[in-house]
Amino acid sequence: MDTLISNLTIIFLLLPPIVGAGLVTVLKKKRTIGIITICSASLILIQVLFLVSKIVSEKTVTAFGNAFYVDSLSAVILLSVSVVGFVAALYSKNYMGRQYDNGTVDDKHIVRYYQGFNVFLLTMLVVPIANNLGIMWVMIEATTLVSVLLIMLYFKENAIEAAWKYLIIATVGLSFALVGTVFFYYANINVNSSEDAMNWTGMVHNAKLFDPNLVKIAFVFILVGFGTKAGLAPMHTWLPDAHSEAPTPVSAVLSGVLLNCAFYGIVRFHIVSSVSIGPGFSNQLLIILAVVSIGIAAASIYFQKDMKRMLAYSSVEHMGLISLGIGFGGLFGIFGALLQIVNHAMTKPLMFFASGSISQKYEAKAMSKIKGIITVMPVTGILFLIGGLALVGMPPFNIFLSEFMILSSGFKSGQFVATSLVILFLVITFAVFLRHLVKMIFGTPLLEMKKGEMGKLAIIPMAVLCSLVVIFGFYVPTQLQTLIQNASTIISGGGFA
Amino acid sequence: METIQFDVLTISGAMLLIATFGIVVTRGFMDWLNAYRYQSIVLSAITAIIGYVTGIWEIYIAAGLTLVIKSIIIPKVLTYVTRKLEIEFKLETNPYVSIRASVIISALLVALSYFLIQQIPFKSDQIVNAYLPVSMAQFFIGLFVLVNRRTVLSQVVGLLIIENGLFLFAMALTHGVSLLIEIGIFVDILVGILISSILLFRISQTFDSLDVGKLENLRDD
Repeated sequence: MDTLISNLTIIFLLLPPIVGAGLVTVLKKKRTIGIITICSASLILIQVLFLVSKIVSEKTVTAFGNAFYVDSLSAVILLSVSVVGFVAALYSKNYMGRQYDNGTVDDKHIVRYYQGFNVFLLTMLVVPIANNLGIMWVMIEATTLVSVLLIMLYFKENAIEAAWKYLIIATVGLSFALVGTVFFYYANINVNSSEDAMNWTGMVHNAKLFDPNLVKIAFVFILVGFGTKAGLAPMHTWLPDAHSEAPTPVSAVLSGVLLNCAFYGIVRFHIVSSVSIGPGFSNQLLIILAVVSIGIAAASIYFQKDMKRMLAYSSVEHMGLISLGIGFGGLFGIFGALLQIVNHAMTKPLMFFASGSISQKYEAKAMSKIKGIITVMPVTGILFLIGGLALVGMPPFNIFLSEFMILSSGFKSGQFVATSLVILFLVITFAVFLRHLVKMIFGTPLLEMKKGEMGKLAIIPMAVLCSLVVIFGFYVPTQLQTLIQNASTIISGGGFA
Repeated sequence: METIQFDVLTISGAMLLIATFGIVVTRGFMDWLNAYRYQSIVLSAITAIIGYVTGIWEIYIAAGLTLVIKSIIIPKVLTYVTRKLEIEFKLETNPYVSIRASVIISALLVALSYFLIQQIPFKSDQIVNAYLPVSMAQFFIGLFVLVNRRTVLSQVVGLLIIENGLFLFAMALTHGVSLLIEIGIFVDILVGILISSILLFRISQTFDSLDVGKLENLRDD
């Protein structure tokens, strides 16, 4: 009976995006397909909330034998996917409607967009709940393919170029990840050739017996592979192109959660490798990549002229911070990193939505052409300002808390060089990002512009995210705290059977 | 009997390497496709050999899928897409490294992969010994083709070589991850090739060229 319920839970969780994509294909009406997508995203959100509360009390849910395995770590990713998916669906309706009105996209494009959006959500939902690491790889590759389709929606030179680079670099990167996965699988069948040798639960169980050299090589391949997809420097070169050229709601999903899905892959193998050869090896690698990412992001934000590219580099920085927290280890650092995942997933979409509305209003993405947002569109301006302040880690907003936890765990674990370098880079980013932000928000507009917002449906998702950003600065809900606490225990090498 | 089997393994591995070199030394897209088709047929035969030696029936299915998808469907799709392109797009002007140097570099890459495989503690097994270095070499040569050539078409070919290398790698090392995953990987490749064909077409339309150097609008400065 119990297994039946959990099987049904998983089926119903994956059903809305499938049905949604089907309905979009059949109905094709511009108004209806937007609403269908919002419905499917909200159904996903509701079910994920139920599932998460179940995970908080029961810790794990397995379904279909051992094919699906949901634990607290998956729940954190699921939560961010569903929240961002929901607000992005809301925002899409307004944004794509406007794109349609000004002739950037036609009916066919809109249908393709919503089909892609639903399938994209589906793939990202399967990544964190698949127990089989091969299936996880297949789904992460599928996210690449779907998002390439979404990026090349526009027939613009830049979009095509970005889609091409993304497709090639991400696919090559993921081929490294597949090599790593096969290595881990090989290590596992050498010690235990059971049916489910590809399952994560089986791997963790046998990890102590793995050949250490093999694990080291395998983890390097995994880190390069999924690291490419997660936007860790120096494999991040596709990221600013893809994130700046995608339709804004897609940029928000790409930055807010797709990077996390790829990083989730790294974390799963990090756990296996930690159990097998101790956490030292993978931690060191994660810290190195993190410091490089944060440094490159700081330099790139310094020279940035394009608003969306700046936000994309800020994603590189935050992925660096997340990987730094995991690398520093200790319950405090890992807790900080997971909280950072959640916080970044709220803040970055807010910024992308605001920047999407702003660039539609100003018909520009270059920061030099955008001035005086606060006089032209006051509500969006204020939301943009709050999001920006949160993003650079200003107290009292949410990201300050998680960054503080990550950095203090750095000192606690004795990584003084890495931590001080990161603090230096963060200070640079802070100053430069704020300067760009202030220049855009205040001042007088260059041209005479009609005042006015971009419509209620554009404001509501931003307002929802913004209130989350403010609330999480003061108070993290107890249930979420327990969830992240449990997930941290899993990552630091305990808490699984 | 043992030695005959060993010879079959070695010779088939060598044939695969020859196919890979065929892509390195030729200049036109159609030649690449032919070399790739030949490579995929050899790969499928090798897969069947692995299936025969290990006696796992699932591997025969993977061999069949390889034959159908990689040596028939993918070349067909790519031929179809590129038939509409101007002929000059299909010929590359000059690779970054000359073809003569490319052959030497590829040979070094083969040596490197034999060296690397010896460093890793694998269980000694004749399939692993015969095919693992070949698959690694294919992976590296694929990467090399991907970065060395100037046209967008050759990047697709590079990806395909890398993927063939990966497939053989997984086959040789673990005798195939489960069939379900392999089908997933095949679907991914197929969809990826379809998407890249659409993109190829759009690139040739909007940029009026298939030169990778033209794809440089997006920069930070």
